Amino acid sequence: MSENENIPPDADETPPAENVEVSCSADSSTENDPSIGTPRRNFVVEMMAAGVGALVGILPAAIGGLFFLDPLLRKKAGGEGDGFIETDLVLDALPEDGTPIRFTVRDDLINAWNKFPDQPIGSAWLRRIQDQVLAFNTVCPHLGCAVEHRPSEGDFYCPCHTSAFDLDGKPLNVIPPRAMDTLEAEVRDGGRIWLKYQEFRGATSEKVPV
Amino acid sequence: MIRSLLAWLDNRTGCNDLIHEALYEKVPGGARWRYVWGSTLVFTFVLQMITGIFLWTAYSPSAQTAWESVYYIQEVMFLGKIVRGMHHFAAQAMVVLLAIHLIQVIIDGAYKAPREINFWLGLILMKIILGLSLTGYLLPWDQKGYYATQVSTKIMGATPVIGAQLQEVVQGGAQYNHHTLTRFFAMHAGILPGLLIGFLALHLYVFRRHGLTVHQPKKKPDTTFWPDQVLKDGVACLGVLAVVLLFAIFKGAELSPPADAAKAYAAARPEWYFLFLFRFLKFEAVEHLGLAFGAIYVPGALMGILFMMPLTAKMKVGHRFNVAFTWLVTFGIVVLTTLAFYEDANNEDHQAAIAEAERDAHRIKELASRPTMIPVEGAVSLLREDPFTQGPVLFAKYCASCHRYNGHNGRGIVLREKDANKNTIISIPEATDLANFGSRDWMKAIITDYGNHFAPLKNAQWYPGADDAEFNLDDSEMASASEEYAEAFTSPENANDLNALVEALVAMRGWKGDKESIDARLVERGQQILDGEPLADGTEISSCTDCHDTIGSDFEFTGEGAGYPDLAEYGSAKWLKAFISDPGSDQFYGAKNHMPAYADKMNAKDLDLLVRWMTGDYHETHVEDYPSRVSEVFGVANEAAATPAE
Repeated sequence: MSENENIPPDADETPPAENVEVSCSADSSTENDPSIGTPRRNFVVEMMAAGVGALVGILPAAIGGLFFLDPLLRKKAGGEGDGFIETDLVLDALPEDGTPIRFTVRDDLINAWNKFPDQPIGSAWLRRIQDQVLAFNTVCPHLGCAVEHRPSEGDFYCPCHTSAFDLDGKPLNVIPPRAMDTLEAEVRDGGRIWLKYQEFRGATSEKVPV
Repeated sequence: MIRSLLAWLDNRTGCNDLIHEALYEKVPGGARWRYVWGSTLVFTFVLQMITGIFLWTAYSPSAQTAWESVYYIQEVMFLGKIVRGMHHFAAQAMVVLLAIHLIQVIIDGAYKAPREINFWLGLILMKIILGLSLTGYLLPWDQKGYYATQVSTKIMGATPVIGAQLQEVVQGGAQYNHHTLTRFFAMHAGILPGLLIGFLALHLYVFRRHGLTVHQPKKKPDTTFWPDQVLKDGVACLGVLAVVLLFAIFKGAELSPPADAAKAYAAARPEWYFLFLFRFLKFEAVEHLGLAFGAIYVPGALMGILFMMPLTAKMKVGHRFNVAFTWLVTFGIVVLTTLAFYEDANNEDHQAAIAEAERDAHRIKELASRPTMIPVEGAVSLLREDPFTQGPVLFAKYCASCHRYNGHNGRGIVLREKDANKNTIISIPEATDLANFGSRDWMKAIITDYGNHFAPLKNAQWYPGADDAEFNLDDSEMASASEEYAEAFTSPENANDLNALVEALVAMRGWKGDKESIDARLVERGQQILDGEPLADGTEISSCTDCHDTIGSDFEFTGEGAGYPDLAEYGSAKWLKAFISDPGSDQFYGAKNHMPAYADKMNAKDLDLLVRWMTGDYHETHVEDYPSRVSEVFGVANEAAATPAE
């Protein structure tokens, strides 16, 4: 406020002090050119004004933007254990001939701030191969419909786009981009089946967990 | 290339003129700091739009999810605390800036002809901003916002003629419900901001039409808005942003416990900038004239005078009157606000209510951040089922008329009453302080100092003095046994035996965590003493089990007894529940009992919560206990007990 040297000698000749009206009509405002003061001083002021203006605009928007990117930026809570879920199935409950059984997987479902205990979270086809369990996610690797078992054909079949797989999950036609997604399954003490339920990205030839 | 592209754009849109028009507004007399206030208001509004829309992406308006989503934003999401804090504090900054802007417009005479319309547009904008803060206050659905907004909607209900209908429409029902939130949210994030943008555009347009109200005398040559005034405005906005950010980082927006219509919130207050109105309504004379008078007619009249200012200014001393009126109202608001703060700061009950709300707010965050997270019924159920927070409330309600908890009523408050001369005095407890019930200290006191431990009973109305028909502590067998053995038990030789006996008694309670903390070797020795073995120095004592013959066995509530309290599993939740349900049962104090039976006074759920609190059976907490008030209360109590009343 102390830059008095910029006041031209005729400063007092600007409109009468008593009259507050400066510009009553819209068309009088744009006549003036912004050429008051020295060009150099104007440039510095312009840069500062632009900088401060940009800062007060960008800073809140950047903070908000980072907040919006929360799903990417927040550290996910590491799941405890090895990811295997104890099912209520024992090995003997699966047919010895390897016929697939559809099994509804239940687990605690986390939904942002809520936790719903023991919810159906997906399903799997389970086959007994001697003392092992072969498990597939029922989601078709093509575009995500549910793969059915056709006892008459002895295959897995997706009604949406006619993907077909043999009982080992190998594609029987060119529609699915990859084999059915196997899930890790283990028979642990007492014959109880433990399953690591995962979902995978669709429509890719690679099996990528989501 | 860029130049020709810009030329093309200008040719098609005329944007150069627009930018020129926007930036080269004349600023007669040079840029000044006093011209920045309007710009800071526009800036805070933009800030609210930015932070508000981002909060919108994570907020969920329903009675079961509003608090929960705000908790999630604030405590879990990346930078959520900062974004919500900015929105919260920028809202308050906006109200302050609004007041400055309005006062300046009036004292500078910028409301006078030909700017009447713009003044009125400004007043409308003020109303919209106040509406935004009012609707925003409810959205977190916490106790504070819930109860404060209840007051606002009740005031709305006091509107003459259409009040009841108006209230019901705004609330989306006769009571607060999901739709109260969806409606308030639609107003807060849709209708009111939309109106604000519209009226702000008109306000700026009319402002440009008449130009700046120049403050005389002019000290500098004329300049233009860009860049001189823009720089000043920008620096002012940066200052506002810095203050808002500092508050957001170091203070943080409050989130009180989730709204609970069943739990009164004694600390309910509106936002601080409405406190003057709150305090005004509390004047007895104002209350006498009815809610509509204080909350609608008086503010309406003030707004009316404000609204008429451009017209009254034409009268001879009109402007002077307006300026005086503005300062007077401002002074009144400052005085009332200060008064409200001062009174609250000196009101023990209000401070206790705030302290309790803060405890609950901490506690609910502990509960919600457990691996079990928040159940679908909402966070309020976590608090309702939490012994740590419900126990004290139940204690205060059911027990504190006789008992105390560390000298207070369970909720940190020392109970007081009026004596015969109408002086306020500390109420004297008429039963034992239960803060350390079942602890080692408690057991030790029973063994070595029974008479004093239960001395507060002597303050009770029913205490008989010398009447043998009633229970008299001085005649109590247990008191005399305790007195008889006190010397032996407190001699250094027997110190280990005392500890052993205490440990054996404590071992019966079976509380959470006892498995780790109980010393089994001590318990073994304690058992021998319980059964009558002599102490280390050879003192023979009669066995505890001579009278309390069930010690060591499992407790079962039968209602039958031999005239001595059944001490099987003494101090356990099971024992405590049975005792509280029917202390006068023959299994406990029989005819000597004076404590009411709570079997019919308290439901099973409340009894369970109370007992779980007393026995420490709840999720671990870092919330501190209420400070002990024992020294204040029991000094008075012991004095009174020493001289039993007639």
